[in-house]
Amino acid sequence: MGEPVNTEVIKERLDAAKSARMKMWLELCAHCGLCAESCFFYLAHDKDPTYMPSYKVIKTLGEMYKKKGKVSREFLEETLDIAWGKCTVCRRCSQFCPFGIDMALMISTARGICNTQGVVPEGLQKAVANYWAEGNQMAMTKEDWLETCTWMESETGEEIAGLKIPMDKEGANIMYTVNAREPMYYPQDIGMAATIFHIAGEDWTMSSEGWDDTNLAMFAGDTKCMTHVVKQTYDAAIRLKAKNIAITE
Amino acid sequence: MYEFIRGPLLWVAFIVFIAGLIYRIAALVNLSLKKDQVVYDHFSTSWALRSIFHWLLPLNRTVAQYPVYSIMTYAFHILLLGVPIFLLAHSVLWYESWQISWWSLPEDVADYLSLLMLALILFLIIRRMVAPYARIVTTAADYLLLVVVALPFLTGYLAYHQWINYHLMVILHMLSGELMLILIPFTKLSHMIFFFFSRAHIGSEFGERRGTVTW
Repeated sequence: MGEPVNTEVIKERLDAAKSARMKMWLELCAHCGLCAESCFFYLAHDKDPTYMPSYKVIKTLGEMYKKKGKVSREFLEETLDIAWGKCTVCRRCSQFCPFGIDMALMISTARGICNTQGVVPEGLQKAVANYWAEGNQMAMTKEDWLETCTWMESETGEEIAGLKIPMDKEGANIMYTVNAREPMYYPQDIGMAATIFHIAGEDWTMSSEGWDDTNLAMFAGDTKCMTHVVKQTYDAAIRLKAKNIAITE
Repeated sequence: MYEFIRGPLLWVAFIVFIAGLIYRIAALVNLSLKKDQVVYDHFSTSWALRSIFHWLLPLNRTVAQYPVYSIMTYAFHILLLGVPIFLLAHSVLWYESWQISWWSLPEDVADYLSLLMLALILFLIIRRMVAPYARIVTTAADYLLLVVVALPFLTGYLAYHQWINYHLMVILHMLSGELMLILIPFTKLSHMIFFFFSRAHIGSEFGERRGTVTW
């Protein structure tokens, strides 16, 4: 709080994001307001126009470009409130805009810029730290992860004879990945998935690394960590020579 | 004065209009080659064309959500292009200069359509002032552009009926028409061409990458 804003960095990010698409979108919006009805925030707040998509983009990324990055910390806090508090980046507005302006991508860009100044919702900051520490959003250690899988294998194996949870098996057809909340809070989910794979006779495996398929870093606007998270999973699939990656849910 | 506006200035307006649009497109494509590789990676001609088709015609969910506004804006755009192109008085000028001619609207029909156009513009202005979701994003430039579009129709209507001052109205009519042409490449009126680029992209983005439609 109260720290100075590095407007140089913001300017750099704005310039980097100024693709042909971005330039066109910034110019094109006819302020017609037809995106309003596509937004569930707008509908859920009695059609309060401050919740409509184009307004939220204009007030955040639009202002940043207008001011060429010279924005205050108060402005960034307000942007946090809009870009995270009033938008889930579901992208429905991008589908309903007559000009096809990808407003969700623009809100994502605004989030990324807030991120460079440490203006990010606390829960997401924690998740990003966890990804860097242990490779998953719950900061679960490799030991705990492997132990949970072994535990589920023996527990589910009591009901279904011969059930296995193959870890780090090379050349499998499917490398199955999970949400890190599953081993943490709902380990039975892993047992259920294993049951399905077992009954279906699928050739599958799970990796000891890169097994978390969530990417909260993406929602935090942290491109570096976001890449790190995806890369872990791809690296694991390549290392295990898996043919497909399946994700949970 | 009349000769100058009808001659050299009209050439200037047309050249700025066409060269301006070509320049804007070239600059956009050039920048996209450097910074929008992802667009080319996932581009799909069929998804792009379908996306454009569904929005050139009222075949999308947004239109269904806003029926009144949609009817108004479709009428607005059709008249904006149709009335000047098929106006008898304009046809005569084309014939005088280039010996080319095509079908024209009956004069009284064109007259009513011009009035309808002015009414539509008034509707669009009032809507911007009244509808909360339009009002909150509306800027002065949005009103100004509607005025720029209204002027050729208003002055043309007044000139046809020889109201106020015929000579002055004809001059204002040509000037306002030329102003609009010159402004197209450099204002939001550029959506006349960028609409196609933008729709082609989002159609491919959702269609080719995610298999879902944007209409």
